[in-house]
Amino acid sequence: MKNRKNLWILGLLGILLVIVIPLAVFWPRTVQAADDPWAYVPQHPIHTSHSDIVTGPLEDGQFETPQQVTQACLECHEDAADEVMHTTHWTWESQPFDVPWRDEPVTIGKANQINNFCISAQGNQKSCTSCHIGYGWQETEAYDFTASDNVDCLVCHAQAGYFKGTYGNPGEGVDLLAAARSVASPTRENCGNCHFDGGGGNGVKHGDLDETLKYPTEQLDVHMGGLDFICTDCHTTEAHAVKGRLVVDNYQINPTEQVACTDCHIETPHDDERINIHTASVACQACHIPEFAVKDPTKMTWDWSTAGQDIGDDHYTYLKIKGDFVYEKDVIPTYTWFNGNLDYRYLLGDKIDPSQPTMINLPAGSIEDPNAKIFPFKVHIARQPYDIVNNYILAPITSGTDGYWTNFDWDQAFELAVPITGLKYSGQYGFTETWMYWPITHMVQPKENALQCDACHSDNGRFDWQALGYPGDPIEWGGRFDNK
Amino acid sequence: MRTRNNLIAKLLISGSLLTLLAAGALGIQSAAADRAAGPVEAASPLHPTFALLDENGVNVLESGEPVSTMQTCGQCHDAEFITSHSFHADLGLSGITAAGETQSGRAWDTGPGFFGKWNPLTYRYLSLPGDERLDLGTPEWLMTYGADIVGGGPAVNSREGRPLASLAPSRTNPETSLVNETGNVEAWSWSQSGTMEMDCFLCHLPQPNNAVRTASIQAGDFRSASTATLVGSGLVEQTADGWAWNAEAFAENGELKPEFVTIQDPANENCAQCHEMAHAGGDPLVITGMTWQTAATGQVVSSQRISASGMNLADKAAAARSWDIHAERQLNCVDCHFSLNNPVHYTANPETSPSHLIYDPRRLDFGEYLQRPSHNFARGQSAEDTVAPELKGTMRRCESCHDVSDHASWLPYLDRHVAVLACETCHIPQLYAPSIQSNDWTVVTLEGQANLAYRGIELADATVELASAGAAVPPTVNNLVTGYQPVLLQRQNVDGDTLLAPYNLVTSFYWVYDDANGNTRPVRLLDLEAAWLENGGYAPEVLSAFDANSDGALSQNELVLDTSEKQTLIASRLQALGLGNVRIVGEVQPYSINHNVTNSDFAVSDCQTCHGEGSRLTQSIQLADQAPAGVIPQFVKDTNVTISGEIVQDENGGLVYRPVPRNDSVYIFGNSRVNWIDWFGALAFLGTLAGVGGHGTLRYVSSLRRPKREAKVKKVYMYEAYERFWHWLQTVSIVFLLFTGLIIHRPDIFGAFSFRYMVTIHNVLAAILAVNAALSLFWHSVSGEIQQYVPRPRGFFDDAILQAKYYLRGIFKREPHPFQKMKDRKLNPLQQATYFGLLNVLLPLQGLTGILMWGVQRWPEISNLFGGLPVLAPIHSLFAWLFGAFIVGHVYLTTTGATPLEGINAMVTGWEEVEEHAEDESADDGEITELTQGE
Repeated sequence: MKNRKNLWILGLLGILLVIVIPLAVFWPRTVQAADDPWAYVPQHPIHTSHSDIVTGPLEDGQFETPQQVTQACLECHEDAADEVMHTTHWTWESQPFDVPWRDEPVTIGKANQINNFCISAQGNQKSCTSCHIGYGWQETEAYDFTASDNVDCLVCHAQAGYFKGTYGNPGEGVDLLAAARSVASPTRENCGNCHFDGGGGNGVKHGDLDETLKYPTEQLDVHMGGLDFICTDCHTTEAHAVKGRLVVDNYQINPTEQVACTDCHIETPHDDERINIHTASVACQACHIPEFAVKDPTKMTWDWSTAGQDIGDDHYTYLKIKGDFVYEKDVIPTYTWFNGNLDYRYLLGDKIDPSQPTMINLPAGSIEDPNAKIFPFKVHIARQPYDIVNNYILAPITSGTDGYWTNFDWDQAFELAVPITGLKYSGQYGFTETWMYWPITHMVQPKENALQCDACHSDNGRFDWQALGYPGDPIEWGGRFDNK
Repeated sequence: MRTRNNLIAKLLISGSLLTLLAAGALGIQSAAADRAAGPVEAASPLHPTFALLDENGVNVLESGEPVSTMQTCGQCHDAEFITSHSFHADLGLSGITAAGETQSGRAWDTGPGFFGKWNPLTYRYLSLPGDERLDLGTPEWLMTYGADIVGGGPAVNSREGRPLASLAPSRTNPETSLVNETGNVEAWSWSQSGTMEMDCFLCHLPQPNNAVRTASIQAGDFRSASTATLVGSGLVEQTADGWAWNAEAFAENGELKPEFVTIQDPANENCAQCHEMAHAGGDPLVITGMTWQTAATGQVVSSQRISASGMNLADKAAAARSWDIHAERQLNCVDCHFSLNNPVHYTANPETSPSHLIYDPRRLDFGEYLQRPSHNFARGQSAEDTVAPELKGTMRRCESCHDVSDHASWLPYLDRHVAVLACETCHIPQLYAPSIQSNDWTVVTLEGQANLAYRGIELADATVELASAGAAVPPTVNNLVTGYQPVLLQRQNVDGDTLLAPYNLVTSFYWVYDDANGNTRPVRLLDLEAAWLENGGYAPEVLSAFDANSDGALSQNELVLDTSEKQTLIASRLQALGLGNVRIVGEVQPYSINHNVTNSDFAVSDCQTCHGEGSRLTQSIQLADQAPAGVIPQFVKDTNVTISGEIVQDENGGLVYRPVPRNDSVYIFGNSRVNWIDWFGALAFLGTLAGVGGHGTLRYVSSLRRPKREAKVKKVYMYEAYERFWHWLQTVSIVFLLFTGLIIHRPDIFGAFSFRYMVTIHNVLAAILAVNAALSLFWHSVSGEIQQYVPRPRGFFDDAILQAKYYLRGIFKREPHPFQKMKDRKLNPLQQATYFGLLNVLLPLQGLTGILMWGVQRWPEISNLFGGLPVLAPIHSLFAWLFGAFIVGHVYLTTTGATPLEGINAMVTGWEEVEEHAEDESADDGEITELTQGE
């Protein structure tokens, strides 16, 4: 009887089911939110203050040498130095690559190769190594890459009063104890001190990385300004290995080591189908970074051949030690196919054709390469010295007492480099045009600022369709995956 | 010659040429990094070189004469075919009828096109033979409006179709005369001035020089118009004695050098010279002058984001959409308004082609097309353009390119929405540029302009003064551009459908008079100025009557005939000029809005924009901020728009148009309602509530006075499990149907609930209710229980009265129920009657009206057979109220059992304690059971 009496509960359930099930079936479906980028953004670790933890060996708790700071760090973070010493931040060169124009595997990096800005770090360690995360790298002796004491923990972790001087050592007057006690996870400042000033000053090198990113607005960078990202939110780090590789100093990059928009976003995140079909051939950056150097200008050309004259220095146009520059702001990128790798990287000793611009690096990819997408680049064009007889680019010694920046004597600068680079100098030099392709991938704009159709698909569009390999504007001629 | 004083002239110098130049000046970096910015005017990649011939067929380089397009282009193209297949050339000439016989109904209109149809915005009108006073003779008509006239048609031929050049100059023929600077009529020699051939260059060159061309036309040098278009191209220069052709531009064979052949398909900028402002490139968009359609509607053709505009736009940052999604997607004007015999776009008319044929590959080849390209272009069905009515609707519409069935799924009742709404209604929710609101020609400014008022712009004070001085108001930074929401009107499509679509309404006021020949004509601008002005200023008499603030000038606000005294003054001054029967007329012209479409991000997507109080469909639009006293304007007659709303005066003396959807038999859920039904329904509901409240109170009071009667009760298994399940399922369905229905009916009161979800719940519950009702009907029929619901005729009324008496009297005395409730006779006579009505009338009708309302989407014909939503929906609402009232009474009566909750308890458990009537033994049919035994 008791059970019977409660039969009504069963009935109630039945009624509810009869109502709820059809409702669920006919409930209006909203577009499923497949794109949930926040799910992939790392949580910031809780900060552990080191102000009570770190103490130096001196009586007042101070450190005498920066190496002592490293030793103090290693007391607790035992593996840290070893981890760091496996990264390119420390080695300044890539893994070895087999390249078709060399018999032996080669490595690429500041340690052994050149660019078309200050040209070469080799032999110029005095100032260049202010961005090396090690102490005491001298030109005069081979650097001991196994000395863990020389790992500079502070440059990435100190939040107070730390800066680098010459040879990678702390600058004059740095309070090592205060710096050591201020350590925390790397901030935009830590990364930015080197990466925002690459090439010797604010915004010189990249065009999409400069000091404006320390305190960015949403209009400058939607992630860092609008959403308050820091560098390591995308450049995630495991065992001190930072994700993300600069293609300029590599040859082929394992995609798992690279940062991509699709680390957080889905491949086709747009509401509009027509925009989504673009993602098979157009990199996100191409539309979402319409211009680079949007706030501070970046160096677009550098003519070394005019250096050495006393015609009055101006930071943005001419310096006696460096020659003529052109800085530009709000630059429309150069677009080309790019599959993430390089077709070519100039290696010291490679022969050049001085009548043609030499590509220091050349992005790989073409319209035939299904993995390549149209990608924005800053092309930095320089005129830099080369050996007229040997037809290769020269790496001058610029710093130091006899460097070019002191004596303004090119011959001397090239002679000094001979024992360091191992390349002979014929005694005759000229200047040749070189190009470097710098990928544009930071300073992503809010979607309201993204490019619209007519930026590319119009008579005055920014793409040269035929140069990209299309018969004409794909809006009329069809895309590379269409039957037209 | 009188200076051009019409609106177009003031507005025409648009920014398009400047834009082109600017776009060309921008060096744009491209893929190869070293790609040089080419000249904008690249030589035509396709068009061969050709010789420029004068009207005698002689190379202009030889003759030094103006170029003739008919001769020049006619070397290869069939120029005769082109001009005779072009409504741009014809301008309505071929549709000329006798005055007053046009659809517009205006006494002075003679045709459907620009030539012959008056436009109050431009005001000057084409005089007719027999007019007492000459306003515009054909030559001056051409001079006045030449900037917007491509040539050919009425610029070449007379109304009878004879060449103008063959007409003898005559002061009495309006086709060969004009009013000269001194105000006297003067004969015009067409053979001397030449006529204006269709100007191919105006639309087929990248940078036609319409400014010099216009000047040439204004000077009456019609023969030179096409040549003037070429000034600046390097081909020809204007000299004191005529035209100097540049020999450098010609090759030895007399043909143009290839680099000077820049013939192209018409670009947006070509169309924009006369129609809508077009803008391309990255420069922030600023409306510097207003071309025709931009002025009348606020439409702008640009791919740029509105937020990137250089104008002072209200809430600009939020408008991160392009001005026009189709311009953004790189469609050009001619992609939709294509030549009708262009083989690329041509599709056979399905009505005239065999039904089995989907595609007919037989078509013009390109050579044939290029020789004889029809210059009749695919056109829509705008309200304002009445030229070439036979070509209306030849353009592909939204749904010809877009698959409507693939519309975003959030919109329920897609077919229904699409059947009654033009896509533009939701996809052009807002115009972002200002447009003309009203145009008052009963007054005149010192510059000979009407008092022109804009909507969608808040004028800074300085600009108000400027406007009063007659200048068109470009949206300078001083003025806040707010844009406006168009009004929604019923459009009669060519195919017979009626769709709600967005419009701007432009209201004009003007004087008309009857001339000596009995013809009604607008007062000529000449006469209007004579009535108002003296010696370059307002006549002292006028000034003293109108200058309210006595500052010696008339501002925009003062320039209005807002009292009968002012009207009488001006009327008498007009009469003094010899004009008879002067009176004020007002007219409202709807302007279609089809451009400035936006995609889903900015389209209307909130149900309550329309389904709620203040529905978009009922949103009114200001016709005029000030109007001549006592003049209610009439809508023009020659539009395809149904005017069913009302024009009302606002408190400031302005006029407002208010749509009344009811008049179009439009019923909008959440907005429309029949008031008496809601009042009646609410009264029935509240009355029942009050009735049971009173009855209950009396019962309670009487129960306090009378001791509980000891009645013999017994426990009866009253309701089978299925009956209870059926009952409660019905209860839940009905209660929630009433609730969701109420929200759908009055969403403004229940803002917290999503309209969209309520509709879904309502529909699903209705389906559940219907299935449940059908199943229970089956069960009741099979089990025979249905008999309980059928009143037995014999003695029914006596029994019913007995039962009624019980409720009215006995129940207060705690008398026993007159009829014992038994399993096989649960219902007393009153219940039987109630349920008989409920189940046979109310429920089926409610279901039927509901299904038919739902069916408006699926089978509109059937629903419309019953009057459609305007009939069905109010009935449905009425029955809903009655259901509500029934529930109140029903729930109350359940409390009249043995104990107040016994009835409900029985419907839950099945077991009910009922009074046992000693005398009613037949009831004891073994259903009395021991409680322990159970069912």
